[in-house]
Amino acid sequence: MNDFLSLLPLLIVSSGAILLMLLAAFEKSRLETASCVSMGFFAVAFFVQLLVGYGPATAVFHGVFNGMLVASSFTQAAGLIILACGFFTAMTTHTYFKVNSFCTLEFYAILMFGACGMLLLTLSQELITGFISLEIMSLAIYILVGYDRSNIKGAEAVLKYLMLGAFAGAFFTMGTALIYGGVKSTKFVEIGAFCAAHSATTPLLLGGTFFIFVALLFKAAAFPFHAWVIDVYDGASTPVTGFMATALKTAIFTVFANFLAQNSGLHGSWVTFLFYVSVLTMFGGNLIAIGQNNLKRMLAASGIVHSGYLLIALVAISTEHFTGSVIAYYLAAYAAGTLGMFAALAYLGGEGEKRATFDDFKGLAKVRPYSAAAVTVFLLSMAGVPPTAGFMGKFYVITSAISADQMALAVLGIVSSILSMWYYLRLIINMYFHEAAETFETKGSVFATTCTFILVFCVFAIGIYPIVI
Amino acid sequence: MFEYALSVMIFLPILAGLTLFLFPFSDSASRISGFIVSIVVLFLGIELFLGFSGSGAMEYAESKAWIESLGIRYSLGVDGISLLVLMAGAILFPMVFTIFSTRSKGFYANLLITQGAMIGAICATDMVLFYIFWEIMLLPIFFMIGIYGGPNRLPATVKITLYTISGSLLMLAGLVYIGVSYHEQFGRWTFDIVELSNLKLSGGFAVLAFFMFMIAFAIKIPLFPFHTWLPDAYTEAPSSTTFVLSAIMAKIGVYGVIRFIVPIFAIELARFAILLAFAGVIGMMYCGLAAIAQKDMKRMLAFSSASHMGIIALGVFCMNVQALTGCLFQIAAHATSTGVLFLFIGLMEERMQTRNIADFGGIAYRAPIFATFFAIAMLASVGLPGTSGFIGEFLIILGAIKFSGFIGFLAGTSLIIGVCYMLWMFQRVFFEKSGEGTEKFQDLSLSEALTFLPVILLILAMGIFPQPFIKKIEPTAQLHIAEMTMMAQKQLADTRLPIVVDTHQKN
Repeated sequence: MNDFLSLLPLLIVSSGAILLMLLAAFEKSRLETASCVSMGFFAVAFFVQLLVGYGPATAVFHGVFNGMLVASSFTQAAGLIILACGFFTAMTTHTYFKVNSFCTLEFYAILMFGACGMLLLTLSQELITGFISLEIMSLAIYILVGYDRSNIKGAEAVLKYLMLGAFAGAFFTMGTALIYGGVKSTKFVEIGAFCAAHSATTPLLLGGTFFIFVALLFKAAAFPFHAWVIDVYDGASTPVTGFMATALKTAIFTVFANFLAQNSGLHGSWVTFLFYVSVLTMFGGNLIAIGQNNLKRMLAASGIVHSGYLLIALVAISTEHFTGSVIAYYLAAYAAGTLGMFAALAYLGGEGEKRATFDDFKGLAKVRPYSAAAVTVFLLSMAGVPPTAGFMGKFYVITSAISADQMALAVLGIVSSILSMWYYLRLIINMYFHEAAETFETKGSVFATTCTFILVFCVFAIGIYPIVI
Repeated sequence: MFEYALSVMIFLPILAGLTLFLFPFSDSASRISGFIVSIVVLFLGIELFLGFSGSGAMEYAESKAWIESLGIRYSLGVDGISLLVLMAGAILFPMVFTIFSTRSKGFYANLLITQGAMIGAICATDMVLFYIFWEIMLLPIFFMIGIYGGPNRLPATVKITLYTISGSLLMLAGLVYIGVSYHEQFGRWTFDIVELSNLKLSGGFAVLAFFMFMIAFAIKIPLFPFHTWLPDAYTEAPSSTTFVLSAIMAKIGVYGVIRFIVPIFAIELARFAILLAFAGVIGMMYCGLAAIAQKDMKRMLAFSSASHMGIIALGVFCMNVQALTGCLFQIAAHATSTGVLFLFIGLMEERMQTRNIADFGGIAYRAPIFATFFAIAMLASVGLPGTSGFIGEFLIILGAIKFSGFIGFLAGTSLIIGVCYMLWMFQRVFFEKSGEGTEKFQDLSLSEALTFLPVILLILAMGIFPQPFIKKIEPTAQLHIAEMTMMAQKQLADTRLPIVVDTHQKN
């Protein structure tokens, strides 16, 4: 029964996606209805996911899936984050598509298919399942990125993402093949057992793991595979960017952590590699972010920096008592702040996202004090200032790094967050310390605004009551 | 009844501030409600002071589990170290609401949040809780300078914010290192400062963590060479914000050193004390000399404040009971004297629309009460016997001579610089011939005079009868120093490292 329950959210979301697909065939269906329907499905799936009680990691329907899918409290938390991201994205688009009219009903179906792929990815403990769910997710995201066909920047973004993403997928398959050649299995557990019994540094395993890391690091926007992020995030429409930045990253880091946590031999031999990747990701991201004038591009670059922090948590993963609580908590904190930021941008950006640069938001606090305050809260959370969720997330990440004797990494993480203060503060300074040049009128429904303020509440709630799984 | 006094003192202003932000209040309504809240806090503070027994332990303690997986607790308490800093935070705030009536709602709301967060940082006995309040108190300052500051406010705001946040984030790493070390040594998580003082730290990481904490506090104090944000921030901030910055926030930096660095990093402090003491003395001299050269009165006072913070910090680094008691006493004395001086300059700026020393002259003839009050605060600031400034500085110099004759000599002589710029400024502003603008300079109104009177009396009282105050802080200071010496000796015995305690050779 519990097996069924842990798959139920996935089933609910996928049936919702199919239902929306059918709904799109009817001429009378309206965009608002579709948005509300998908919100409803996400909400139901969220509560089902919340109700499932998990003990230690259990293989779902072992007789059928043969241990390919494993549910644990970590995957539950990741699933909750993804479903919440889906819900808030659907809510934001309700407003966004009233102003920007390039949307059709299929958008929501594809959004939900993407969420399905992500949920499946969090559960998969086997490389081929991982590949399939990765592709389900990626295909949906490719379409969402290029949804506005009249937008030339969107077309450029989708082309870049598709080409590079296809390479990443190919690398993943290649890595799977090599690992299968070395281990005679694609299950994480058995790869771990093989590495413990033999060695994690045979040529086949080394090559295979390297290719899989390339694919995962590409999707996670880590150095040196981060160059696509800026253009793709900028080209996609704001709610889609928010969804990509949060839900997709959650899914990727969940499967990444699961892969490493099962395998102490592998983790031990790759930890130095991950150390450098994480440092370069943080500093590379910061250097890019400091130079940006466009908000979405800055947020894309700051997403790279946050991937760096998450990689710190991966370096510091304990393979013996893995709970994933640090990663899940950081992802939740990051998701709340980032989604909130994109929700606010979705309605403040206006028609055709005309307000996009730092300068466009000058004096926002004078005209719309509540929105400016909400944006400030999100920025402070991303910067890691207490009492927001971002602070506790950073606190846990640094604690885990120092516990794992990675003092250098902790210090570099701190230095990187000092650097990141600059571009977060820059927007706050623009909003508060300048006179307003325009009236910041916004049209559309109140959904995105509501969503923003719910997320403000979430940022504080997660920060003040940190529930650790 | 006063079981939760500390919580009320922290959260009443914060909640009041947030309420002001969220709902449309008029400016004067916010001012009045802010005043009422600060009076309530003042009342609680005085109750607390009278009820404080001075045993040396934490009093009015509160403790609730908060984040159990990491042993983080919501725990508050007051002892001799925090008492006078807390009192400064409670007593001085109501003045801001009565004197400056021209501010807007957002300003008063920010001010209230600052007060709550500052009291929180002073009372927190859990390091993580301290860190949270420490960071929160910066945010309203950021907005107050950035929105309500002078013409060059933007660079000043960015400077102070980046400086202090860098310091805080470094401290966060040090703080986590301490927590993790405690977990390794004792097998459980805690961030309680009393328990953390049992920690034995050694090796390169301990020195690194020590410097992370030290830099964070050195930036807040500000200790040479981390003082460069201060002149800009103090000058550009509205007078009442400068007042808060100099009277309370800088003191919390010194308080942090005494509270966290002295018990936990006893051995590292002993190692680097001479270096830090020199930083303090250099700061005193350098900022004092810079103050002589200033044309802007507020900027001069900013440098003077930095110079005095140097001697207060020196009191900590000497590591003996006299210097520490003097330092704790001087914290309160300096908060009252310099704080009030900044408010006076704010008043003068409001009346004259200028801060240039050259534009003033002959104010003493036009406004005798104002001049008298100003003179008392100024003399306390330079440490004239009979005022509060004398006792603290005297004790610190005494301790400094015990610690190192040379440092004591330098500190003693650089006090003369303070007398130079203060008296010279006083002469140019209050005597000499009156200028065009000063002809119509109005004396203090009754309400203004009544606001300043208690603090002026306090300055005199602290100078003439210091014993009631010293009695409350001395036991804790003795306990603190005794613990520190014991810890340092124990650690020396444990680690058997060839550390030379005779710190003279270190330099």
